[in-house]
Amino acid sequence: MADLPIDHKTATTWIHLSETPLDIAAADAFLHTERAGGINLFVGTTRRWTEGRETVRLAYDAYAPMAAREMRQLADEAADRWPVLRGCLLHRLGEVPVAEASVIIGVACAHRAAAFEACRWLIDTLKAQVPIWKQEVYADGSTEWVEGQLPDVHS
Amino acid sequence: MPNPALDAPESTADSTAVTLHVLFFSVLHEKTGRRELTLTLDAPISGTDLLDHLSDEFPTIEEYRPAIRLAVNESYVAPDTQLEDGDEVALITPVSGG
Repeated sequence: MADLPIDHKTATTWIHLSETPLDIAAADAFLHTERAGGINLFVGTTRRWTEGRETVRLAYDAYAPMAAREMRQLADEAADRWPVLRGCLLHRLGEVPVAEASVIIGVACAHRAAAFEACRWLIDTLKAQVPIWKQEVYADGSTEWVEGQLPDVHS
Repeated sequence: MPNPALDAPESTADSTAVTLHVLFFSVLHEKTGRRELTLTLDAPISGTDLLDHLSDEFPTIEEYRPAIRLAVNESYVAPDTQLEDGDEVALITPVSGG
């Protein structure tokens, strides 16, 4: 995919899109900071069975420059809603084999309640708003683009 | 009585041409075989007008029409948004990241 990798890192926010395996240790390292008491990491992985069908891999397409923009906006909004000290959103594109990570969302906050809430909100909202699409590649050779949610127009 | 001035075709120098760079992803890319296309249309043109035009050319677009959100220059927009010369317009079907 052209435009990749996209890798934007500030003192508090890390947005990453690439076709290579995601580095969970690097995500964790980015989130550690002295003011944080709780770090929440969500890892989305390719699941082998869905509704009776066997997946051999997922394949992700993306409008990469806009996906990065939307991911930055999500990180900014999470920091408005919760006292987020550090945030990261990393998404792998292209082929993601079974049991491998497609997305890592991480937040660091002073206390764990906000860390859990912000992390949950980020993955839920990424799945609703960011222009990334997954294609199931099934064991029987068939493929199917997963239709999730139509994004909202930002007010 | 015919009036040559009124009946003469509009010169292209007078009409406002809007050139758009249109992007297709996922299922639309797969079914149309196109990743991108550039087209020039006469102003004024809205998102709805663009989808009307694309639906004529691509039956897939017609089929997916109720499930298409437009993004102009990397921001989601309402369908009645006026498109400007040079805009990059992406056809966004229901997203499924993560």
